[in-house]
Amino acid sequence: MKRTRQLASLFLAIVMLLSLTACGGTAAPGATASSESAASESASASASTEATEAAKADGPVLNVHFDVEVASMDPQIATDGTSFEVIAAVTEGLYSIDAAGASIPAMAESVVKSADGMSYTFTLRDAKWSDGTAVTANDFVFAWRRLVDPAVASEYAFIAEIAGLKNAVAVSKGEMKTDQLGVSATDDKTLVVTLDTPVPFFDSLMAFPSFLPVNEAFFTAAGDKFGTSPETVLSNGPFMLTAYEPAATTITLAKSPTYWDAAKVSLGGLQYQVIKDSQQTMLSYQNGDLDLAALSGEQVEQFQADPEFRNIMAGYLWYISPNQKVKGLENVNLRKALALSYDKSAIAKNILKDGSIVADFAVPTLLATGPDGKDYRETTGKYLSTDKTKALEYWKAAQTELGVAELKYTMIVEDTESAINVAQFIQAEVQATLPGVILEIQTMPKKNRVERMQAGEFELCLTRWGPDYADPMTYLDMWITGSPNNYGFWSNAEYDAIIADAKKGKLALDLAARWEALKKAETIVMDEAVILPVYQKGDAVMIKTGVEGVEFHSVGINRIFKNATKAK
Amino acid sequence: MKKYVLKRVLISAVTVLVILLVLFLMLELMPGSPFNDEKLTEAQKIVINAKYGLDKPILVRFGNYIASMLSGDFGVSYTISKNTPITTLLESRLPISLRLGGQAILIGTLIGLILGIVAALKHNTIYDTITTVISVIGVSLPSYVFAMALIYFLGFQWKWFPLLYQMKSPVFSSIMPTISLCMFTIATVARFTRTEMLEVLGSDYMLLAESKGINSFHLIFRHALRNALIPIITVLAPLVVGLMTGSLVIEKLFSIPGIGSLLVSAIQSNDYNVVVALSFIYSVMYIGIMLVVDILYGVIDPRIRLAKGDEHE
Repeated sequence: MKRTRQLASLFLAIVMLLSLTACGGTAAPGATASSESAASESASASASTEATEAAKADGPVLNVHFDVEVASMDPQIATDGTSFEVIAAVTEGLYSIDAAGASIPAMAESVVKSADGMSYTFTLRDAKWSDGTAVTANDFVFAWRRLVDPAVASEYAFIAEIAGLKNAVAVSKGEMKTDQLGVSATDDKTLVVTLDTPVPFFDSLMAFPSFLPVNEAFFTAAGDKFGTSPETVLSNGPFMLTAYEPAATTITLAKSPTYWDAAKVSLGGLQYQVIKDSQQTMLSYQNGDLDLAALSGEQVEQFQADPEFRNIMAGYLWYISPNQKVKGLENVNLRKALALSYDKSAIAKNILKDGSIVADFAVPTLLATGPDGKDYRETTGKYLSTDKTKALEYWKAAQTELGVAELKYTMIVEDTESAINVAQFIQAEVQATLPGVILEIQTMPKKNRVERMQAGEFELCLTRWGPDYADPMTYLDMWITGSPNNYGFWSNAEYDAIIADAKKGKLALDLAARWEALKKAETIVMDEAVILPVYQKGDAVMIKTGVEGVEFHSVGINRIFKNATKAK
Repeated sequence: MKKYVLKRVLISAVTVLVILLVLFLMLELMPGSPFNDEKLTEAQKIVINAKYGLDKPILVRFGNYIASMLSGDFGVSYTISKNTPITTLLESRLPISLRLGGQAILIGTLIGLILGIVAALKHNTIYDTITTVISVIGVSLPSYVFAMALIYFLGFQWKWFPLLYQMKSPVFSSIMPTISLCMFTIATVARFTRTEMLEVLGSDYMLLAESKGINSFHLIFRHALRNALIPIITVLAPLVVGLMTGSLVIEKLFSIPGIGSLLVSAIQSNDYNVVVALSFIYSVMYIGIMLVVDILYGVIDPRIRLAKGDEHE
């Protein structure tokens, strides 16, 4: 009898131990936690079933892959491409972007621009939020004031300054009240915007997620929970959220019945799936669980013969930034020698293999369309193309001018696989082409690389820049004297004058002349080898046959699904 | 016994405080702030640091940090889910990870025990060999390799199970992750059970019991297994911790919205608050499990209590 009791207590102890480990021994009562999770699971499960059912009735659902979670559904807080994509799928601004990258009116029905380009009066179209209330001019005023409000502390407040919004800088520093920002609503349908300077790309900026409207009453009612669930996100765009939670691994969107242009939306909805493992991604794609998936660099070779494989040009320009305060690098011949000494096409074709292209320029291709209707790169030349013979000549000239036979530099590189591979190839090429130049590589996390650059504590750095808006200025603005992103400390009075004139002077209103001036500015940057361009990043994606009309962009919103179709 | 428990609890509490201190110091030693995007203007950095209290002196921040961590307020996420309170993130994720871990440890222990007992009873037969082979594979093969094999064959080729975790079918879609996770537990428990059982079975008191004519069922379960289980309970604690670290990879692989995948994302995106909160939670879990094991050990094995010189109950 005693033994039975002991045995029973032993087993009881084991069961307790197991149940405790199952609950992790935390203070939270296990029973409540698991019943809550069951409830939330069944709730979200039913929500997504509803979404799928609703979508079936309405049109096919597109299954799309993300490799990272959505960081925020708040248009004024979000800063990353993934968040921008989902926010833009459910929200529409004054303008949206068409397949070719041009801005087309969305919430704006018509606009009157003043002759000096400093004031815009928008008349809004009759559009509704998904709760049935009308989209009003105040929704824009409220959102834009949030963007620059120091209490909100948006990381993208700088974009208001780029858009030229009057008093944006002073308001974001807290020197002025938010109601002094250059935006106001004269009535529900009329939005008046005043600028500090004319901004030629203002229209396309208005499609940028930071400028998307937020309904004030809804935002106030949602409070801290704004943007954290389908109930706390309002939609005026082609789709609406049906399942979402912060850092969700699955997000579902359904076609919005209240969207003004709903007749043109053929998809019944979108189902996003976050998968971080690239092999798992491709298995899911081949399994038919995904219609659209991004490939990692090493998978490209395996899939590039597949008819569903596609290369997409991304906006990122990778280049080497030489610090001109470092002895030797102030010499233009040395910089040119370095720039011409490595085989860029080998980097794009043999090392990256992901659709990246050779960069013989400072402003990427497919970034901006000029007043002539052509891509910027179509009407400009090539600069600093690889030429090892010339590189050697420049090096000899530099050796004479500097009075040295040997030079040794350290290049800092972020510790991602592709960056290290590229850096090592460049190291080998430079040392082989330019006898006497020794290049060392130091790897570090990207954060540290950026900090070292910002502090000016580097000699050479392999770095990248992504565009913020569809205009060459998003790159050229970096290299003016005193710019915080002018890491190389290069300074040129003529260049500064052109950029200043294009931003605020008479060129700002003469678009054709401005375009030519920007080309000239790029020529100066390249002639002086201020940066040593390497490649423009390409992305490789797989799209299932039968899926059409997905619009890819290298600036702002990366993928737009409004016009996408999927065959049954 | 009370004294023994009290001492254990105190040691655990001190350990938690030390961990808090270490986490804070590590946070301080990390380079820069979460807000050093190269496109942020200096003025905006000042505004943002002020908003999140990152501009305060170190002692003030340490005080705030200890107070809020102990009260369960882990602050907000900076990058993974901007401005979302970390407790909100945990609400939906913690139960999923705990359920997965619970499934793995329960199933793993059960299968491990059965395999171990069978192997010991059928010593030096084919069953013993099979158990040894399973143990060696389970201990030496990393769980993610095993998971990838499962995904490829059971999921992709034969389409028995979904490739990814699905909120719609939380049990069915967690079968493959659970199997991948519990392999190590099965192997370890089986190995320990087998060794301990063999030792117990060969002991004098078993011989005595057998000669007294006790039937074989009672012999095995009452006399042999009970004594063999004691050391196994101690290895269960490190096993549970092993499950937690294993779940980081497994959750990432199967896109499971648990705290393991959250930690991986947080580390990758420098979301310091989330990293600290999750490290703290993992540590508290570990300490909690160790505490329970220590106490249970005292309960189960009288020699422990006696060795501590406590009074008899």
